[in-house]
Amino acid sequence: MPLDTSTYSLALLRIDGRRWNDLRRLHAQIHTQDAADGSSYLEMGHTKVMCVVTGPAEPQAGQKKGTVGSAQATGQKEGASIVVNVVVAGFSSVDRKRRGRNDRRIQEMEITIQKALAANLHTHLFPHSTITVSLHVLSQDGSLLAALINATTLAVIDAGIPMTDYITACTAGSTSSYAAGDDAADPLLDLNTQEEQELPFLTVGTLGDSDKVAVLVCESRVQVSRLEGMLVVGVDGCKQVRRLLDGIVKQKGRKMIKEGAVRKSDMMAVSLDE
Amino acid sequence: MPITIHNPQPAGPAPRRPRAVDIDMDVASDSDSDSGTGGAAIQGDIPMHDDDDESIAQDEDDEFEEQGDARDEILTPGTVITSNSQWMRGHGTYVPLNTSSITSSLAGTLTRTNKLLSVRPLRARYNPEIGDLVVGRIVEVQAKRWRVDVAAAQLAILQISAINLPGGILRKRTETDELQIRSFFAEGDLLVAEVQQLHQDGAASLHTRSLKYGKLRNGVFVAVAGTGGGAGVVRSKRQLWTMEAANGGGKIDVLLGVNGYIWISKHIESDAAAEAAGINRMEESVSSQIYSSQNNHMDVTTMREIARCRSVILALVENGVKVDEDTVTRGYNEAVEFGRESMEDDIYLGGERGQRLAAALAGR
Repeated sequence: MPLDTSTYSLALLRIDGRRWNDLRRLHAQIHTQDAADGSSYLEMGHTKVMCVVTGPAEPQAGQKKGTVGSAQATGQKEGASIVVNVVVAGFSSVDRKRRGRNDRRIQEMEITIQKALAANLHTHLFPHSTITVSLHVLSQDGSLLAALINATTLAVIDAGIPMTDYITACTAGSTSSYAAGDDAADPLLDLNTQEEQELPFLTVGTLGDSDKVAVLVCESRVQVSRLEGMLVVGVDGCKQVRRLLDGIVKQKGRKMIKEGAVRKSDMMAVSLDE
Repeated sequence: MPITIHNPQPAGPAPRRPRAVDIDMDVASDSDSDSGTGGAAIQGDIPMHDDDDESIAQDEDDEFEEQGDARDEILTPGTVITSNSQWMRGHGTYVPLNTSSITSSLAGTLTRTNKLLSVRPLRARYNPEIGDLVVGRIVEVQAKRWRVDVAAAQLAILQISAINLPGGILRKRTETDELQIRSFFAEGDLLVAEVQQLHQDGAASLHTRSLKYGKLRNGVFVAVAGTGGGAGVVRSKRQLWTMEAANGGGKIDVLLGVNGYIWISKHIESDAAAEAAGINRMEESVSSQIYSSQNNHMDVTTMREIARCRSVILALVENGVKVDEDTVTRGYNEAVEFGRESMEDDIYLGGERGQRLAAALAGR
C-alpha cells in the first residue's frame, strides 16, 4: 500500500520521506544539444524528459496537411503553428509496454501542451511557419505531464521564441482515495507513480508568478470539496518550480555573458523607473 | 523514542541561507570558532549552497549585488522592465493587457536605443535584414523563382530576374531562361546572395546581381548558429576574405554568411586577361562558367587546410567564442601550430584540443 493512511496520519511523512508540501528534486539543463534551435533536459525526481524545439521554420511537406499522431494548431490565421510530439521510450517505466503513436493518453498530453503553448507564445511574430516541439520520455515516476510542460518551457526559452511568461506545472493530490469518502483529506504536492496510482490527483500549470491557470487536467474521481485545497497547493508548487527554472535560465545567461558570447545589458532595468 | 507530530503547515518562504559575508564576520568576531565548519565559505563572495538551492536563494542575492554586477543580470520572460511611460517597447518585449508596464518576452539582455527598449535574446534563429550577406541552399524550384533555405523562419525567395543571366548582365530575361531554370540553380545547390528586400510577413527576397555572388563550388559547407546572440557568426565589416593557407595549401576563401551558414573554399584567381578587357567583356567571359557545378582541380594539401579551417570554426562554436575574421584567422594560425606538435599533423580540434585553442585565443 503506497500511502498507508495509518502511517501517514502518525508521522505525516510520505513513503519517500517527503512532507505534504515538498517537491521532489528538480534538476534541469538548458541548451543540451548544439544542433537544435532549442533544447532542454529535466528531471523531477525519477521522471526524466528531454525536449527539442525546432523553428520557427518552414513547415515540412508532411506537416502541412496535419500528420497523424501529433497535436497541431489549426485555425490560426497569421501566426506560426505549433506541433507537439511526445515519444515515450519503451524502457521508461517498470513494465515494458509498447505504446504506439496513436496512444490516446499520449495524444491528450500532446494536445494539452500544444494548447498551452499556442495561448502563451507570441506566434503572430512568425507567420507561415511552424514550431515543432519533440519530447522524449526517458524515465517515468509520476507527474509526467508536469515534467513535459516544464521541459518544453525551458526549450522554448532556449530557442529564443517570445512568450508571455514561464508556463510551469506540477501535480497535487489528496491523502485519501475517493472511495474513503473523506471530505477533509489533506492535499499533497508533486506525486510519484505509487501515489498517483492510489490517490486522486490533478496536474496544474500556471503562468509565471501569477495565479493564472494555463493547464488543468484531472482524470481521477475526487470530492469537489477537496478540489480547492489541491488546486491551492498545486499553484503554490508551480511558483516554486518557476523560481527553480528561472534560476537555471539566469545561471546559463550569466555563463554566456562571462564567456563573452552575449553582450551585457546597456543599463539596469531598475534605473529606468527614475 | 518519542515522535513529535506536527500538523501540516503552509509552505513558508525558503529558509535564508547564511551568506559568505555573514560567516566571514562571525569568524572574525569569534576567534574560537572551529575553522573546519566555516573555513570553506570564507574564500570569496560566492554563497555556499548546492545546485538545487541556488535558484531559490538567487533572488535574495541579486539585491545585494553592486551596480556593475547587476548589468550581468539577464531578463527572463515575464520580467517587468519598467512601468514608466516615457519608454517605448521594442523587440523582445510586450505590454500585458490592462497594464502599461513593458515586460520582457525573452531570456536575454537589455538594449536601449534612445527611448526604445528591446531585449537581445541569448540565442535565436536568424532574422533577415536588408543588405545581409547570406549563404543558402536551394530547396525548391518553381516556374520563375527558387525557394532558398537561409536558416530563417521562412524560406527566402530568389527571382529569376534577380540573378545574373549568362551572356551579359544587361540581357533581358526570356521564356527560354524560364524553361531552363534548373540549369542555373537546381535543388541542393549552394549559393551566396544578398538580402534585397523583406516582405510583410518577414520572408526575404535575395539577389545575386554581382560577380561576388552566385553559385558556390570548390569548398565545404559548415552550419553554425546565426546572429541573435550566442556563439556564432557576428555581423562585421568583412564577411568574406582570402587568407594564405599554411603548409603550401595555397589561398583559401572563407565566407561567413550572416545567417550562420559558412563556406570555406579554394581561392580561384579571376582571369587577368578578361579583367583587362573591360567591365562588360568580363561579365561575358565569366558568366559562361558561373553556373557550372563542376569543381576545379584541388590539391590534397588545400583540402587539408580547408578541413583544418572548418575544425577551427566548429571548435570556436563549441567553446562559446564568436566567429569573425579576427577569431578565425588567429584560431587558424594557432591550429597550424598545434598541428606541428604531432608527427601526423592532426587536424581534429574537438574536446580538449578545442578548449586549448579557445584558451589560446582568449589569452591572446
